[in-house]
Amino acid sequence: MNTENCITLKGVAIGYGRNTILSDINFSLKSGEFVVLFGPNGCGKTTLFKTILRIIPPIQGSILYGNENVPRFGYVPQRKHLDEIYPFTAEEVVLMGTFGQRKPFCPTSKIDRLLVEQCLKDVGMLELRKNFFSELSGGQKQRILIARALATRPNVLLLDEPITGLDILAQKKIIELISVLHRKHQLTIMMITHEVHYIPSWVKKIIHIHHYKVVLGSLEEIIALSRIDEVPNQE
Amino acid sequence: MEQLLEILSPHFLLRNAFYAGLIVGFVCPQVGIFFVLRRMILMGIALPQVSNAGVAFAFLLHTLGWHFFRHIESEKVMALTGSVFFTLITIFVLAILERRRKGFTENRIGFTYAIAGAAAILFVSWNPYGKSEVLSMLTGEIISIPDIYLWSMFAIYGSIFIVLIGFHRNFILVSYDIDMATTIGKKVVLWDIMLYLIIGIIISFGVMTVGPLVIFGFLLIPPVAARMITRGIPLFCIVSSTVGIVASFVGFYISYRFDLPTGPTDVALLCVILVLLYLGKMLFRFKR
Repeated sequence: MNTENCITLKGVAIGYGRNTILSDINFSLKSGEFVVLFGPNGCGKTTLFKTILRIIPPIQGSILYGNENVPRFGYVPQRKHLDEIYPFTAEEVVLMGTFGQRKPFCPTSKIDRLLVEQCLKDVGMLELRKNFFSELSGGQKQRILIARALATRPNVLLLDEPITGLDILAQKKIIELISVLHRKHQLTIMMITHEVHYIPSWVKKIIHIHHYKVVLGSLEEIIALSRIDEVPNQE
Repeated sequence: MEQLLEILSPHFLLRNAFYAGLIVGFVCPQVGIFFVLRRMILMGIALPQVSNAGVAFAFLLHTLGWHFFRHIESEKVMALTGSVFFTLITIFVLAILERRRKGFTENRIGFTYAIAGAAAILFVSWNPYGKSEVLSMLTGEIISIPDIYLWSMFAIYGSIFIVLIGFHRNFILVSYDIDMATTIGKKVVLWDIMLYLIIGIIISFGVMTVGPLVIFGFLLIPPVAARMITRGIPLFCIVSSTVGIVASFVGFYISYRFDLPTGPTDVALLCVILVLLYLGKMLFRFKR
């Protein structure tokens, strides 16, 4: 694994407008690392993601990107945020990943078509590429969104709650897929989850948002911290 | 058949109205696609009404001796300016409120529709002269379209069509997934502004030429119909424009053949196409 930091947050405060959700965030991500961002619903995980992705500016502090260049991000949003009124095929959704490099007025190139095909193969969805995206199952949609993120040729892959709302088997398959992609493409991966049992046991670094504080730890430490919260108050 | 050949003849008396209808039928659905996909259909009802109010206001000012452009006497230019001004201001205000998530979208659009409708009628009633002329323009004078107007329409709608095709990926991505668009470096605000400008211009110019009812019909019904029967965005766009241009062509023929008003005939035909496609789809599903 490369030891170089690819994203570093120094004294960052995040939120919308003047409303600060989290403050004093300090951590770094090394190239090739797999990190889980864990915390309860509504604690600011997605806001932190969007701040790292530069969708929302930080209220305070700085975010440094390795080699002074912002890495190429592949972003997998929550499925529920994507409107199903769009009559996209699965292939068209993946093709969106190539839009960042395409010039206007140019038709889709053969290179892009091949890239999309490869990404669909990587997530095991090549056969369903002509199906309506809106008619796919939750797990299949998630695979397509991961393929779309891969089509951006990312250095860093950020997945927002990729297994929420899926059945146990689909959850297992998605986690396996993410693990394979991490190993195969040497991708730096950051994944959001709000349930501790979704975290794969082999993940070494977990960023835990606990009582509005950002804490770094291993899976054991995070479980211990979560159990403290579960102990009923004796007073 | 004789009447059809007459319509297609280059010397046909109402050829400008026929060509204008075809242009509207072809280009409006391409803009309407974004109304449908962004779930802004209600805005598609309110904006032509606002544009109408702009036309009526400009006519009122013109009658009272005010001129936006002192060197140009044409009241149509002034009406177009009023229409564009009212539509763009409204669309940007509504877009900003939408982004800031202030109140409910339906309430805002309903309020806009009501106030624009009332304002249009009041402006016309305050206009001491040419009430009938103003009313004929507001309802869409589709029959008498001068050459200069047709050519301007061809240039404006043609340019908009080229922009929509050329930047289609950006417009679609920004509409579908803002976060993804920002992540891959698209200037979301810029593309949104450009799309709203296009919508504003299409509606303003269209309302001036064919009236609010026809514009609303061609903006929304073809994409709604196409969405029912297509898979994938390119086919969705092609079928939308095909439905629009077929309805415009056949609608014009029917109105000429049976001496009916063209605009309402076009819209009624679009509705018939929509219902037939829906029934066809149901039948297809039932058979499967």
